[in-house]
Amino acid sequence: MTAKLNQQQLDSLAADLDAIRDSVRADLGERDAKYIRRIIRLHRGLEIGGRVMMPFGFIPPVFAAAVASLGLAKIIENMEIGHNVMHGQYDWMNDPSLQSQTYEWDTVCTSESWRQTHNFEHHTYTNVIGKDRDYGYALLRLSDDSKWHPGHSLQFINYILLTVFFQWGVGLHELESERIRRREIGLTDKRDFLKGFFRKGGRQAFKDYVFFPLITFPVAPIVLAGNISANLIRNLWTSTVIFCGHFTEDAETFSEASIENESRGHWYYRQLLGSSNFTGSKWVHILSGHLSHQIEHHVFPDLPAHRYPEIAPQVEAICHKYGLNYNTGSFGSQYRTVLKRIAHFSLPDRLRLKLGGMTAKQA
Amino acid sequence: MLSTIEKSSPLRWLGKQLFNRNDPAGFFDPLLTMINPMWAQGFVAARIESVIDETPDTRTFLLQPSSRWHGFRAGQHINIIVDSDGVRHHRTFTVSSTPAQWRTDGTITLTIKRAPGGRITNWMHDHLQAGATIGISEAFGDFDLPAGPSPLLYIAGGSGITPVLSHLATLADSPYAAPVSLLYYVRTEADVIGAEILNSLAANWPALTVSIFHTEVGDDSQHINPSHFKNIPELSERQVYLCGPKGLMDRVDELLAPFGLRDDQINKTFFSAPTSVPLDTPLGGAITFTRSSVNVESDGDAPLLEIAEAADLTPAYGCRMGICHQCSCKKTEGTVINRLTGKASGPGEETIQLCISVPQGPVSIDI
Repeated sequence: MTAKLNQQQLDSLAADLDAIRDSVRADLGERDAKYIRRIIRLHRGLEIGGRVMMPFGFIPPVFAAAVASLGLAKIIENMEIGHNVMHGQYDWMNDPSLQSQTYEWDTVCTSESWRQTHNFEHHTYTNVIGKDRDYGYALLRLSDDSKWHPGHSLQFINYILLTVFFQWGVGLHELESERIRRREIGLTDKRDFLKGFFRKGGRQAFKDYVFFPLITFPVAPIVLAGNISANLIRNLWTSTVIFCGHFTEDAETFSEASIENESRGHWYYRQLLGSSNFTGSKWVHILSGHLSHQIEHHVFPDLPAHRYPEIAPQVEAICHKYGLNYNTGSFGSQYRTVLKRIAHFSLPDRLRLKLGGMTAKQA
Repeated sequence: MLSTIEKSSPLRWLGKQLFNRNDPAGFFDPLLTMINPMWAQGFVAARIESVIDETPDTRTFLLQPSSRWHGFRAGQHINIIVDSDGVRHHRTFTVSSTPAQWRTDGTITLTIKRAPGGRITNWMHDHLQAGATIGISEAFGDFDLPAGPSPLLYIAGGSGITPVLSHLATLADSPYAAPVSLLYYVRTEADVIGAEILNSLAANWPALTVSIFHTEVGDDSQHINPSHFKNIPELSERQVYLCGPKGLMDRVDELLAPFGLRDDQINKTFFSAPTSVPLDTPLGGAITFTRSSVNVESDGDAPLLEIAEAADLTPAYGCRMGICHQCSCKKTEGTVINRLTGKASGPGEETIQLCISVPQGPVSIDI
């Protein structure tokens, strides 16, 4: 179990982390602008390349290249560009195409809904059970904070479905279907959200599943299959990366009571303990939108993400200084613990504990 | 070719479906500009053809705007868009050349003085060389040439001469027969901008009289005074054009009052570069929420989000602690202090987070 910090320690933790943030802020400039523009050029090249190659997909290696190209384009756009731009990481550049409040990304979820549910709710109330709806997406039971019911025993199937159709799941996240099921709210309360969802979801489906197949009519089935595959690859990769960010074995959860009148230091403390990293090559970091540095991302969500690897050693040193766990490991080992968590908490608590299963950590 | 997407509404609709943006042509910019910077679709690109020294601190930049640019009228301004150290800046300058020149060879000139402490004018002087590409806006402003051949009086101070240069060269071409006088105020001889153009205009165009006054030469400083109007016949009949620093313009207003000119005889243009407030300015100030036309006073360290809410506005917000950027919006003018870092912003247009920005002096916000 990691250390509990008193208020004085929390304040000094905040001061230490603020110092890192300020020094990166002061250093932002040409290098960061060049980096994101290079990534954007890469995205444009991959997307255009993928779209152009796809009609020639009747040649199997070309099909594979086209799917990989379009899939990578979507991954880079969603993770390293869209997600990070919408966090305001590049607002300081004053470039209208990189503004957090107007950027629209290449996925079903509207940017407006994402900024509300992710930037605000998830990043403010990270891992607070009952407040952070990203914890299990109201679909999976991932800790013993929520009561077991028989439906949970099949949650591994839910997980597979969620990861396959991830962009649609994320798109519908704001619907709060669990509250609709409990009749706390009705569909009419979500009319504006649903309008936006159908408009954006329709647009994404039209583009990938209607427009591009139709204009390449004789080879439409190939283009359709290719576009579905590219979306599937993106869904699997992004959901896996995201699950590794907060649902690993050692990622901790928090109670609503613990965040009453929360200080900045405690917010930092919660971000450090509720997030987990994974290691990998430079390209693993880029393709994960640097969410491989989920810990750094959660303490500094609006610093340009390519800076996370540079400041990670300092953040890790601060964790050690205060006796806090810096949760990291290889991609494979972190992901294994995520699957373990999904499986263990699908069991009723008594059975799980009898089998020597996982105990959730609540800080 | 790509810009037709923006004009046709079915294509625009399709572009929005395919690229998730209102300027679908801009999707291709990152690649297009790599091949040729002049192909940018997101803004009008302009190539710097040459840079000419006018005075020790003033340079004229000869620009070739891309063919998409719509042109300008003499006396109009453009915004230029430059990226310096990763940050995009917009600044307004007057076109100092004539529309005739643009129609002939497609070039325009901007005559730009280094503003003391000015980030962008200094950056332009130090970094912009022939061959570089910048962005420009369409032209705007209504410092227009007179409709009919009435006698004219131009009064310009310092770099305020730029729209006047464009006016005079255009009038000389027409040719304009009514008398035209220019009173031009500069610190010293070396500060005269466009000296060559002014000399050649005065030599070849009998209707023009040019008087240049040096305001900072020893004891005999020639700040504007009533005696400067003595040699201008029929002053009360003239159309007057003013462009210069605020002090000069205010003084001219006073001096012209006895001549009984009508309001429609006086044409002014001025824009002053935004300047930072002194460091010891107290927090709070006069806040203008421009889009909702609300003006409020704030004192103390209340952040703009609370000020807006107290004025019954409902800007978007989320965490209220500077994390989520839901409340990010445009500050068009003024200085704000970032509560988290304690740092002061610049004076010009930039994106700020309402929940952690405390005004320091007057501030305008686009909500």
